[in-house]
Order: sequence, then structure tokens, then C-alpha cells
Amino acid sequence: MPYGFAPFSPPPLLSRRAILGIFGSGFATFAAPQNARAQDASRDITLGLTPVFLNNDLELLAALKTYLELSVGQPVKLVLRRTYEEITSLLVSGQLDAAWICGYPFVAFRNQLELVAVPVWRGKPLYQSYIIAGTGNAAASIAELRGGAHAFSDPNSNSGYLVTAALLAEQGARPEGFFGRVFFTYGHRNVVRAVASGLADSGSVDGYVWEVMTAVEPAMTANTRVVRKSEWLGFPPIATTRTAMARGEVQALRRGFVRMAESAEGQRVLKLLHLDGFAEEPPALFDAISAKADLVKRLG
Amino acid sequence: MTRFTLRASEWPIAIKVPLLVMLLMLAISFVITNTVLTRLAQTQERHLQTLSRAYLDGLGGTLLPHILREDVWEVFDTLDRARSVYAGLNAVTTIVLNPAKRVIAASDPKAFPTGQAVTPDLLAGLGVDGRLLIDEDKGTARMLDAVRLQGQAVGSVYTELDVSALMAERRSVLWQLIATNALLTLFLMAAGTWAVRRMLRPVRTLGSVLDRGSDGPVEIIPDAQLGSATSEFGRLFRRYNAMARAANERLHLAESLAEKERLASLGRLASGMAHEINNPLGGLFNALDAVKRYGDRESVRESSVRLLERGLNGIRDVVRATLMTYRQPDEPRSLKRDDIEDLQYLVQPALRQKDLTIDWRNDLGSDLPLPAAAVRDTVLNLLLNACAVSPEGGLVSLTADADAHSFEISVGDCGPGMPDAYRAFLENGSAASGPMKSGAGLGLWMVRRLLDASGGSANIEAGPAGTTIRLTLPFEREASRHVA
Repeated sequence: MPYGFAPFSPPPLLSRRAILGIFGSGFATFAAPQNARAQDASRDITLGLTPVFLNNDLELLAALKTYLELSVGQPVKLVLRRTYEEITSLLVSGQLDAAWICGYPFVAFRNQLELVAVPVWRGKPLYQSYIIAGTGNAAASIAELRGGAHAFSDPNSNSGYLVTAALLAEQGARPEGFFGRVFFTYGHRNVVRAVASGLADSGSVDGYVWEVMTAVEPAMTANTRVVRKSEWLGFPPIATTRTAMARGEVQALRRGFVRMAESAEGQRVLKLLHLDGFAEEPPALFDAISAKADLVKRLG
Repeated sequence: MTRFTLRASEWPIAIKVPLLVMLLMLAISFVITNTVLTRLAQTQERHLQTLSRAYLDGLGGTLLPHILREDVWEVFDTLDRARSVYAGLNAVTTIVLNPAKRVIAASDPKAFPTGQAVTPDLLAGLGVDGRLLIDEDKGTARMLDAVRLQGQAVGSVYTELDVSALMAERRSVLWQLIATNALLTLFLMAAGTWAVRRMLRPVRTLGSVLDRGSDGPVEIIPDAQLGSATSEFGRLFRRYNAMARAANERLHLAESLAEKERLASLGRLASGMAHEINNPLGGLFNALDAVKRYGDRESVRESSVRLLERGLNGIRDVVRATLMTYRQPDEPRSLKRDDIEDLQYLVQPALRQKDLTIDWRNDLGSDLPLPAAAVRDTVLNLLLNACAVSPEGGLVSLTADADAHSFEISVGDCGPGMPDAYRAFLENGSAASGPMKSGAGLGLWMVRRLLDASGGSANIEAGPAGTTIRLTLPFEREASRHVA
């Protein structure tokens, strides 16, 4: 569940100017073969990011890039795509050095990926998935949302899809059967917009995103209420491929993330992200997500 | 002058002109207001159509792939963001429909939930052609446009715009025009009234001068009111004054001519009278001679005395009539029967001259309240005139009668008839405008003057046998009025 940066076209979270700025700075939208990259120590480090929720994207991107380049001592390129799938594919195929992905893709490609760092929010590397509804909706549980329109974030998102799908799978139901209509908005922020506008009766959203939006932009979440909070699950991590893990620049990147709280530039990034810091965590942190994925897979 | 009547043709020009200004301004205002509002509405609608066309075209291009996939979120997201991009268009509602006219997504999902069919009312009257349908009462404009791919409609976009601001602008322009035109009309009416009153001031002066001069001498406009000699009215006033002076002189001249005529008549009368006296004088002297010579004879003496008496009686009658005529009319005196009766002695010479016969009917009894001298002059004039126009051996008639209210006298002749101009003058004219040439109608002019002064009337009966002039003179005015 990355809190990266907005995708290509009309990013709900990123302005056109921001995108131009990002591309102007020279994103690697394609990658050279991995072995060639491994031999070139002076090349840019590429870090993939998935849709973000904050509205100060440009500032965040610039701050993150500045901090990482200072920390790694090498140019860093931030790569943005619209969906989790695209970023995950780029990462798994070795076209990115590392990417801030979601727990669901991580467990799906568990045998190919390694954890670089996991964000720490409110003291723990954990977050929740929320099921939200409009303030006019009196539903007290997911059962009362049956038959309504439901907005998911991304089919590869843990909090924005898997948690709710697993909850329904436990009852032997599929989302498209349980809800009257489901659709994907490809952004947690969009889920909040869809529910607030009435386009959807309910939605599955990242709890961290909803909480931060409520603190930063209360008007955005004012027309929504939380119907259900999931158990605490592993926070969307920064991952790399097993083959790249041993490389110096990936290790440098890992140190940069883990020590982010130690410098002023890093503090600024954390403040913008509303995070405490980044930590090294074992893959077992995502076992609960893995179990949910299995549950949904079993239902077919 | 400003007395108000219901007949528009009698209204003063000082009211007619401002009213005309008002009517013209109302007509102009109506046309201008209509033109301006029509043009405004056309311009507004054209701009709105252009803007909404751009809105739908922009939306359609972006929406096409999302409509094909019926991607609810992307359609909504596009509509949601278009709201801020096209804020100037005031789109209240935008709905994207699939070919089955079911909602894919609407800008207001609560009012138009995804998957529901829209009510037929919503699309009533709309063709799928992007043409605006403006409802002025509701202040909305609606349109429906197809989203096409390879000529096939894959969906449609319905938009309802809030055009109440445009309607308010139209109303505001309407009221502004009405207020402006009303102020302008009032101002022009006031200016018109003021200008016309000012321009007509000389006309009023002229009118009042003419009113006062209608009975008698014409009034001269005082120098103080003449104004500039070069102005239109200045020249008019000067010409008028010149004309008035000429008219006054003419009146004066007519009066002196009348006096001369009167004296000339008297001269003729005196000569006639001398003749009248002279005729019996020979007989009287003969009688006297006979008395002197044969006075001792009883029969001669008696016949001579009778002759003398008859002759002297005739002379006495003539002298008395002359005395009556010649008496100055200083003290208006009632008309007596004898005033008329005496006249037959005065016309005797004229009768005898042409061997005329007179049919004399004087039925007057008591005295009448009329100016004796003027009536006598008039009747004498008519009689002499009748004698003058009658042929040798003809018949002249006079009938005088009176009732309780008026005196009526007719004088007839057997002449060739009276010229129409004289006749019209006598019946309907006025002493101020009639013929004045001496010897050619001055007598008629004097008759007319008597009629004007007394309020009487004349009636002319002309036939093949001659002409009868009948004058009717009422008493009432004469009782208190002095006639010169």
C-alpha cells in the first residue's frame, strides 16, 4: 500500500504542473537490462512510487528526492505509475532498484522480493483498512452495506481491496456479488471522493490515508464515516528484488530510509508523510495479509 | 386658450407636441428595447451555445474511452474535474448516459444514481444534437449530445446549465432601458412643452390682438412686443401692424366716404326738393296773380285759395321731410311712423324722373326703440337704389311692419337683380370688409353697418320680376345702443 506519487494522467492527487516537473527532471520510464545497470555505479538509482494521497505532492517528491540523494550520494529518480500492477511489474522485472509497494503485491511475489524498509506510523509498522460510508448512511456493519455501490481503490491494494474481499470470502461471498456494483478508483483519495459525493454507498480505504486526510483536509472526509476498521496489518513496505538486495546502492537506499529521522531533511520528509520513520522488519509482518490473499484465492 | 376638450383636434399645440413626443418616444423605446433585448438574447444564446458546445466536445473526447468501458469512476472523475475547469458555464447537472439511456455517472450521483434510467421528463424536448433548450421561467438551459465513435453513438451527455444570471441580466437591461427611456421621454416632453410654449408666445400675442380687434378698429401690436426685426415673428408682426394700419385707414376712409355720400344724397335731395317746391310755385304765383286781378270774384278767390293751400301743403311736407333728414342724430330718438312716411316725399323726384309707381305700405303704429336717423338713412338709400335700378315705368314697393321684438322693412324693385357679391356682402358680410368704392355699393355698405351695429339681418329675394331686400332689426340691442 504505497503512498507514493501520482500516476500519469490526471492524477487525483498530483497537479499537471507536478507531473511536468517530475518528467522534466528526467524519470526513467524504461530500464536498461539489470546486469548492465549493476555494472554502472554512476547511474541513477530508480525508486518506484504508487498513487499518493497528499496534496503537496510536488513538495514531498522534491523533499524525498533531495533527502535520498544526500543520503545515498548518488542521483535518485522517482518513477510514478497509475496502478500498483504497473509498478509491481517494473520492480519484479528488475527495471526498478526498489519500489514503495503494497503488502498484497509483496506477499504475491514473496519469493522474488525482499523488504528494504517498512514505514512506522504512530509507533508501529502497522496500519488498518477502513470500510467507509456516507454520513447519511446509518450502516453499523458491512452486512448492512449489501446491495449498494462500493468503491475499491486498486485490485492489487491490500487495504483498498484485499481486506474487504477476504472479509466477504469468510462468508463465502465475492464483492461483485455482495455489493450491487463495484468499481475501482485507483487511489485511496478517490475512494473517499466517490463515497463523499454519493457515487458509491461505501468504499474500502487505507486507514492511514483516511486519518491523515481527516487531519490535513477535514472537508474531504467530512461526508464520510468509518463503518468498520480491520485488524492491524503490515504497513505498505519498500521492497526490492532478491537479486538486487545485495547491491550497494540498494543497501545505501535502505540505510537512507532507516536513518531518515536522523537528519533535518529526513525529518521534513517524515513530517510531510505524517510518519514516525522507517524500520527494518521481518517478512513475517505480512503473514496476515498473505493469509487473506490465500483465502480470497481459494474462493476463486 | 388652454381650455381642455375631448376632441384631440382642438387641443392646444402646446399639449399636442409633448404628447406627440411621448408617443414617438414610446414607439422608439419599444422598438429599441425590443431590438436590444432580442440582440442580447441572441448574443447570450450564441455564447452559451458556443461555450456549452466546447464543454460537451471537451467532455466527450475525454469521456469516450470511459464510456466505452462504462468506467463509473473515471466518468465521474472527469465530470467532477470539469466542474472547476468550466466553472463559468454554471453547469448544475451533467449526466453521462449509456445507449440505453441509463446513468453511467452524474455530477450529482445522489440525484442520479449510477445504473438508473433517467425520467423521460428530464430529456423532454431534447434532440441528441447538442442544441440548447432554454427555459426562461426556470432559468435553465438543457442539452443532450451524443458521444460518437466511428459514427456510432456509444453514449450521450446531458447537461443542465444555470442561466438565471443571464436572465437576470436581460431583466436588468430591460429595466434599465425602461428607466432610461422614461426619463428621456419625460425630459423631452418637458423640453417640448417649454420650447413650444416659448415658440408660440408670438402666436398668442397675435391671436389676442386679433380677438380684440374683431369688432371695430384693428389693434396695433405695441413696439415692446415686436421683437427683433429679423426674426420670423418680428417680420410677421411688422407686416401685421402695417396691414392693421391700412385696415384702420380703410375703415376711416369708408366712414368719410359714407359721410360724403350722405351729403351727396342730401344734395340730390335738396335739388329734388327745390324742384318739388318750384313746381307748385308757378301755380301759387298764378293763383296769387288771379287773386290780385280777380280777387273780387268769389269763385276765383275760392279756387285760388284752395290752390294756394294745396301748393303750400305740398311745400310744407317737403320741407318737413327735409328737416327730419337733415337733423343731426346727436340724440338718438325713437323711430316714428312718420320717419318712414316722410320718405315718400323724398323719393318723389326720383320716381317722377323715371315715371315709376310706388306701392307704399307703412303699417307702423307706436314708436319703436330704434335709431330713427340711421334707419331713415338706410331706408332712403334702399329706396333711391330701387329707383335707380328699376326701368322706366316700373314699380317700386315698400313694406314696413313691426311686431313685439323687431322692425321689418322690405324694399322691392323691378330691376335686373343684384350682383352676387353685393348680395353675399349684405346677407353675410361685415362692414369692415365690404365694397367701398363711391357710387358702387357704398349705400350697401351703410346698410350693412346698420345691421352690424343693431344685430339685424338682411334677406334678399331675387326673382325674374325684380329684387326684394328685407331688413329685420331687433329691438333689444337697439334699446340701449347708440348708432352713429
